[in-house]
Amino acid sequence: MKEGARMIARRNRMIPALFILPSLLFLGIFIYIPLVQNFYNSFFDFSVFSPTKEYVGFSAFQQLLGDKVVMTALINNIKYAIISVIFQVAFALILATILEDKLFRRIAPMLRVIYFIPVMISISVIALLFNFIYNPQMGLLNSFLELVGLGNLAVPWLGNATTSIYAVIAMSQWQSIGFITMLFIVAIQKIPKELYEAANIDGAGKIRQFFSITIPQVKEALFVNMLITITGSMLVFNEPYILTNGGPGTSSMTLSVYMYQQGFFKDNMGYGSAVATLIFVVTAIFALIQIKVSGTGKDE
Amino acid sequence: MKKTLCFSILLLLLSTLLAACNSGGEQSANADGKVEIDFFHRWPNEPRKSFYDEKIKEYMEQNPDVHINVDYVLNDAYKEKVRVLVSSDELPDIFTAWSDSFAENLVSSERIMPLNDVIQEDEEWSSKIIDSQFGGFTFDDTTYGIPFTVDGKAFFYNKAVFEENNIEIPTTYDELIAALDKLQAAGFEQPLVEGLTNTWAISHYLGTIFERVVDPAVLEKDYNSETAEFTDPGYVQGLEMFNELTSYMGEVSTAIDHEAARNMFAAGEVPILYMQFAEIKMVEEAGDVEFGFFDFPEVEGGKGDPTALTGAPEGWMVSKNAPEETIDFLKFLTSEETAADFTKTDGQLNAIEGAVTEENVNPASLEAYELITNASSTAPWFDNAVNINVADVFMRGGQSLATGQTTPEDILKEAQQEAENQK
Repeated sequence: MKEGARMIARRNRMIPALFILPSLLFLGIFIYIPLVQNFYNSFFDFSVFSPTKEYVGFSAFQQLLGDKVVMTALINNIKYAIISVIFQVAFALILATILEDKLFRRIAPMLRVIYFIPVMISISVIALLFNFIYNPQMGLLNSFLELVGLGNLAVPWLGNATTSIYAVIAMSQWQSIGFITMLFIVAIQKIPKELYEAANIDGAGKIRQFFSITIPQVKEALFVNMLITITGSMLVFNEPYILTNGGPGTSSMTLSVYMYQQGFFKDNMGYGSAVATLIFVVTAIFALIQIKVSGTGKDE
Repeated sequence: MKKTLCFSILLLLLSTLLAACNSGGEQSANADGKVEIDFFHRWPNEPRKSFYDEKIKEYMEQNPDVHINVDYVLNDAYKEKVRVLVSSDELPDIFTAWSDSFAENLVSSERIMPLNDVIQEDEEWSSKIIDSQFGGFTFDDTTYGIPFTVDGKAFFYNKAVFEENNIEIPTTYDELIAALDKLQAAGFEQPLVEGLTNTWAISHYLGTIFERVVDPAVLEKDYNSETAEFTDPGYVQGLEMFNELTSYMGEVSTAIDHEAARNMFAAGEVPILYMQFAEIKMVEEAGDVEFGFFDFPEVEGGKGDPTALTGAPEGWMVSKNAPEETIDFLKFLTSEETAADFTKTDGQLNAIEGAVTEENVNPASLEAYELITNASSTAPWFDNAVNINVADVFMRGGQSLATGQTTPEDILKEAQQEAENQK
C-alpha cells in the first residue's frame, strides 16, 4: 500500500514535467538552437556556396562597428520605433476610447471592422498597393496634392533619399493601427463601468475621464502594445524590402533588410549572422527595459 | 504572453537563416519507374512560361519514360533561390544561369557538371552553338554551361523625334550630351530615362562607361577579385559621366523601374533609353514608335575599347547528380529547332547557328544580331563581372549619386575598401 502511494506521488511529480516537455522541445529546436547557432556562425566567414567555413574570430563584429550602413539602418529602425509608438500606440488608444464612447455605440462595430481590415491583408499586397499610391507619375498621393493646390509638395516619395523611409513607415502605420486599436478596445471593455459613472457624478468631463480613468486602467495593455510595436519596429523587414529594397542608396535600409542582403545577396553569411546577433541584442535590451519598467509578471 | 510574442517574432527572423541549412534527399526515379528530371527556369511570365511548358510536353511525348518537373521564379528571386539551392542537395537537374561571376560562383560549389565530354562527344549538336559565347561559362578550360540566349545593350532612340529636331546619331559622348541638351531645349523635360530602382540597370550603365574610359588591362585586373584595386582615375570620370546622364533623367527615375521607363519610351514620352536587344519585341508590343539604336558612343580621351559591346549570354547548367537523360533534354532545349521556335515566340536572340533568320525575327532584331555576333569584343554585365559586394557599392552608390547624397570620390573610396575586404 505504501509502495503504491509513493509511486503515485512520484508519477504526480512527473506530470508537470511532461506537460512542459512539448513546448520546451519546440522552443529548443526552433528558437534556442538557431539562436546559439546564429551566434556561432557569426565567428565564421562563409557563403551559401562554400562547402567549408573559415574561422575569423570577432572580425565580423569589428566590421559591424565601423559599418556606416548599419548605423543608417539602426537610425531608421529607431525612427520606425518612435513614429510607431506615437501613431500606433498613442493614436490607437485615442481611437479605441472614441470607438468605445456611448456616442459611437451604433456604428462602432462597423468602424472596428473597417480599421481591422488592413491587418488581415497580406503585406505584399499592401506594399504593391502603396507602390501605386506613391508612384510619381500617376500615383494617388501626388495627384491628390496637385488637386488641392499643394502640387509643389509632390515628390517621388520612394525615390527621394529623405522621404523614402518615412513613406515606408507611413504604410506600416496605416496597416497596424487597427490591430493595436483592437487590443486597446478589449482592455477598455474590461474597465468597470462604475468608475465612469462615479466620475460623471463628480462632474469630470470626457477628457478628464480619459486621463484619470482610462489610461491608468489600461496601463498593462499600454506596455504590452509598446513592447509589440518597438520590437516589431526593430525587426521590420517586409515593408522596406518590398517597397524600396533599402534604396535609393541605403536611405531606407533597416537592420533586417541589411542582414538578408548580406547573407543571401552578397554571400556574406557570417557577417549576416553578426547583424542578426546585433538585432537580437537590441530587441532583447528593449524588451528587458520595458519588462523592468512596467513591472509585469506580477498580477495586480 | 509577451515573451512568446517576442520569441515568435524572433523565430520568424531566424527561420530565414534556418532555410539555408536544410537539406533533403534526392529522387531520380518515381513510382512508375519513370526517370524524373527537375527543371528550373526564371520565366513565370509570358511568353516564355508557355513556351517552356509546351516544349516540356513535346519532350515527354517523345520520351515516354521521362517525367520533367518544372519550377520557376522571376529574375531577382531566381538569383536568390539558386544560391540557396546550390548549397543544398536539392539543386535542380537542369537550370538557367547567367555567365561570368554568377556562373563562377555556382561552379565553386562543386555541384555543377563539367560539360567538356558532352560537347566533344556530340559535335553535330555542339558545333552549332556560336563559339564566342562559351567564354562566360568556361573556367580553367572547363565548360560548365551551354549558352542559349545572346544579348547586347545599346541606346534606343525615337527616329521621328530625332528627325524633327535634326539630331544626328551621336558618335561621341560629347555629341550625346549635346543631343540631350537639344532635346531638352525642344521641350523634352527628360530626354533620357532609366528605372533606377532596378540596381542592375545602373550596373549596365557603369559597366559600359568603364569599358569606354578605363584601360582594358586595368579593367581586367580590377574585375578579378584577387587583384582588384579600383584606383584608376577613369572610375571617377566614369561615375561623373553617369551623374551627368542622370541629370537628364528627371526626378522620377529613382522611383520607377526599368519596365516603367521602357513604357515611357514606347509611348513616345522619352526619346532615348538604354536598353537590351532582348527588349525589342516588348517595345514593339507596348507602343508604335519607330526606333533605331546606336552603341554607347566613344568617349574622347577614354583609354578603353570604343566599340566593345556590353552584353552576356545566358544558358543552361546541369547538376552533377543529374540523371543521364538530362543531357538529352539539354540537347533538346538547345537544338536548332527549339531555338528557332524560341526566338520566333519571344523575340530574344539565341546563340544557335541558323536559328535566327529573316523568317523568325524582324529587321531590327536581325540588325542587332549581326551587331552582337560581329562585335570586336563583348563585355559582361558589370554586376556579373565583379564581386557582388563591390558591384553593390557601385549600384547603390549610383542611386545615391542620382539623388545627390554622395560623390564619385566617396563611392570609389568605398569600392576600394570593399575590394580590399574581398581578398
